[in-house]
Amino acid sequence: MTPGELLRLRVAFGALGAVPVFLAGWLGWLQVAQAGKLERAGRDPLPLVASTADHQGWRAERIPAPRGSIVDRHGHTLAADCATYDVRVRAGVPPEMLKDVAPFAAWRRKLAEDLTLALVADPEIEDRPGVREKALARLTKEFDRDWKVAALPATGAFPEKHPGVVDVLLASGVDRLAVIEALKRLMRSGYPTVSLDFIQTYQRVYPDRELTHGLVGHQKSEWVPDEDGGRHLRISGACGLETFAALDPDDPGLRRFLRDGRGGRYFVAPVEDAPVAAVLHTTIDLELQRAAVRELTAVAEAPGKSADGKERRPKWGALVLVEIATGDLLAAASWHRDQKNLEGAAFTPYQSLFEPGSIVKPLVLAYAREVGALDWDHVYDCRSHLRHGVDYDRTILPLGRRKAVEDDHDCTDLSAHGILVNSSNIGAALVGLQLEREQWQDYMKGYGFGATLGLHLPYESCGGHNKSSFDPGIPLRSFRANSAISFSFGYELNVTALQVARAYLRLFRGLGAELRLCRGLELDGEFHTVPPRRDTGPRFRDEVLRDVKAAMIDVVSDIEHATGGPLRRDMLAETGIDLHGLLGGKTGTAASRVGVGRGVLKQVRNASFVGFLPADEPRWLAVCVLQRDDSAKFYGGSYAAPPAARLLLRCQTLAERWQLHQESRNGAGGQTRLGSATPGNSGWSDAAGAAPGREHR
Amino acid sequence: MRWAIAGLLFALMVALTLATAALRADNVRARKRVEGVVRALQDRKVELTRLSMKRLDSATPQHLAELQWRWLQREAQRRAGGEQ
Repeated sequence: MTPGELLRLRVAFGALGAVPVFLAGWLGWLQVAQAGKLERAGRDPLPLVASTADHQGWRAERIPAPRGSIVDRHGHTLAADCATYDVRVRAGVPPEMLKDVAPFAAWRRKLAEDLTLALVADPEIEDRPGVREKALARLTKEFDRDWKVAALPATGAFPEKHPGVVDVLLASGVDRLAVIEALKRLMRSGYPTVSLDFIQTYQRVYPDRELTHGLVGHQKSEWVPDEDGGRHLRISGACGLETFAALDPDDPGLRRFLRDGRGGRYFVAPVEDAPVAAVLHTTIDLELQRAAVRELTAVAEAPGKSADGKERRPKWGALVLVEIATGDLLAAASWHRDQKNLEGAAFTPYQSLFEPGSIVKPLVLAYAREVGALDWDHVYDCRSHLRHGVDYDRTILPLGRRKAVEDDHDCTDLSAHGILVNSSNIGAALVGLQLEREQWQDYMKGYGFGATLGLHLPYESCGGHNKSSFDPGIPLRSFRANSAISFSFGYELNVTALQVARAYLRLFRGLGAELRLCRGLELDGEFHTVPPRRDTGPRFRDEVLRDVKAAMIDVVSDIEHATGGPLRRDMLAETGIDLHGLLGGKTGTAASRVGVGRGVLKQVRNASFVGFLPADEPRWLAVCVLQRDDSAKFYGGSYAAPPAARLLLRCQTLAERWQLHQESRNGAGGQTRLGSATPGNSGWSDAAGAAPGREHR
Repeated sequence: MRWAIAGLLFALMVALTLATAALRADNVRARKRVEGVVRALQDRKVELTRLSMKRLDSATPQHLAELQWRWLQREAQRRAGGEQ
C-alpha cells in the first residue's frame, strides 16, 4: 500500500469514526446541556428528556369491575352484569377538506351512514332499517351540532377557529360480535381521521325477571326507550338483594399498552388486578319460585269479574315457602291486582301487612300450653252468649267487651284440639284469657311479631300490635276485654306473610330461629358460607309440638267443621291425593278495616293458610295470604289453602326427583361422579339440618 | 491488518444495529398482533356473555311453553287451511 493510499484510507475511516463521536456529542448536547422543562398549568413541569418521549406512547385503560351476581341455591343466575361496549367516535376533518370545505357535507353524511350501517350488521337484530334510521338521525344531529355545521361556509377553506374534531357517543350497550367487527373493519378502510373507542362497561341482566322482582329487586333508575323513539324512566330507587353492599363493584383493574404516532396499539401487559365479581348465593330455588308465582297468580286471577262487572279478584296476594331445618326462604311470590309496574309494586311477602286471623291460633295455644296456662285435654264450652255458653258467660261476658266474640259456625264442647280443628274464636279467646299481659308481650316477642325479619331487605314492614295494646295506662280489665281476646284469634295485630312463616318456624325449631335468604358469598373464587342459625333458642316441648301438629293435621280432614275440609276434598278430586295425614295446616279468615288515605277506612277480608309437609316430620312450611277489598265471602280454606298445598306438594316432588337423581348417580354398579354433589350445592339439606361451618365449592 | 479488523468490526456494528432494529420492528409487529388478539378475545367474551344469557333466557319453561304454543297454533292453522 502506498503512503497516499494509506492516508486516504485513514481519512475515510477517521471520518467514519467521527460519525458516532459526533452523534454521541450531539446526544449529550441535547439531553444534558440543552435539556429543559416544559411548564404545565397545575402540573409538574415536563422534563424534555428521552424517557418523557418514551412515556408519551404509554397508555393505560381502566377495566371497570362488574357488579356482583346473584344466583339461586342451585347456581342459576338471577342477576348478573354482562360486559358491553360504549362506542365513541372521534372524527377529524380530513386534511384535503381543510382546504376546500365543499365535499365535507357529503363525507360527513357518508361517515354517519357507514357507522350506522355497521351498527345493524348483525342479521339477528330486529327491525334493522328502523333501528338504523333512528341511529342515523341521532348521529347526524350530533355531528351537525358538534361540528357547528350551521356556521360553516358552503365553499372555501375550513375556518381556522372552527372545531375540527368531534367526539360523540355512537352507541351504548354494544355486545354483538358482528357489530363490533363491522365497526372495526370500517375503521381499517377509508377513514384515516376517524377512530373508535370501545369503552368497556356492563349491562345488568335479570334472567327470569318476572319471577324475581321483589326478592332480587333492582338497584337504580334507568331510562328505557319507547317504541316511538322516546324514552321513559322505568325504576326509581333500589330494593331487594340488589341493595346488598357486597355486590358493589370492586376497584377497577388497569391494563397498560403502548400507542404509536398513528394511534396503533401495542400489547404491553394483561390486566393488572383483574376485577372479579362477587357471587351472592341465595336460598331461593328458582324452580319453586316459578311454581309459587304460578300458583299464586292462578288463584288470584281465577275469580275474574262477576256478570255485573264487579271486581272479584283479590287486591293482593303473597305466597312464601320455607325450609324448616335451615330457615331457608325457598320461594316468595307477590301478586297485585291491576299492577302496571312490576318493579314499583310493593313486594307483598315482606311489605304488605294484614291481620292474620285464625292462623295464629296454633301459635297461641302452643304458647299457652308451654307456659302452663292451658291443659290440652280440658274441654271448653265454646257456645256463644246467645246459646248460653257457660264458659262464655262466666269468663268473657263479665269483661264488658263491646263486640261479642262469635264463631263462623256454632261450636259446642271443645278441647284444645277441637278449638284448632273448628277454628273456634270463642275457644281461642277462652285460652287467651288464661295468659297474663306480660305473657302476651312475651308471646309477641317470642314469635317475632312487630320485629324485623333480619333479612336486611329495605322498606320492610314490621307491623306488630297496636301502639296502645300494652300501654301501662290501660286497665288490665280493658286489656283482657279487648287486646287479649283479639290477639287470641289474630286481630289487633298486623303481620306480613314472612313474619307468619318465621313465627311458625320458631314454633317448630325454637324461639330464636330466623329465616335465611343468603347462603353465602363467593369472593375471588372462595366461598364464604352464611351458616344456618344453629342456636335457635328455647324450644317448645315435644308433647306441645306433637299435639299442635296433630290438631293441624286434622284441620285438613273430613271431620265435621274442619276448616281445611274443602281443601282436602278439592285436592282429592283434582289430584287424587288425600292430604289428610300428609299435610298439616291452619286456615285463617279475617275481616278488617284498613286506611286507604285521607282518613278513609275500607273493609277488607283476608284469606290465609299456613301449611307444612310432611305432616309427621315437617320439612317445608308454606304461608299464603290473599286480601280482598270488599266484604264478600272469602275463606282461607277455599282460596288461600290450595296454592300453598300445591306448592308444598311440588316441593316434595322436586325433592324426591333430586333424591332419585342422587341415587342413580351414586348407585351401586354405576359410575360415581362427584361434580355438583358437594355439600351445600345440593339445594336440599338433610333432615338433621345443613352441615354447619364452611362450605367448600 | 488492524485497519481491516477495524473495518470488519465497524461492519459488524452496523449489522448488529440493523439486526437489532429488525428485531425490535418484529417485536413491535408481534405486539401489535397480540394486542389485536387480546381485543378480539375481549370482543368474543362480550359475545359469549350475550349468547349465554340469551340461551339461558330462551330455555326457561315459560319461553319453551310459549314456543310450543306458537308451534301448536301454527300447526292448527295449517291443518285448518288444509281442510278448507
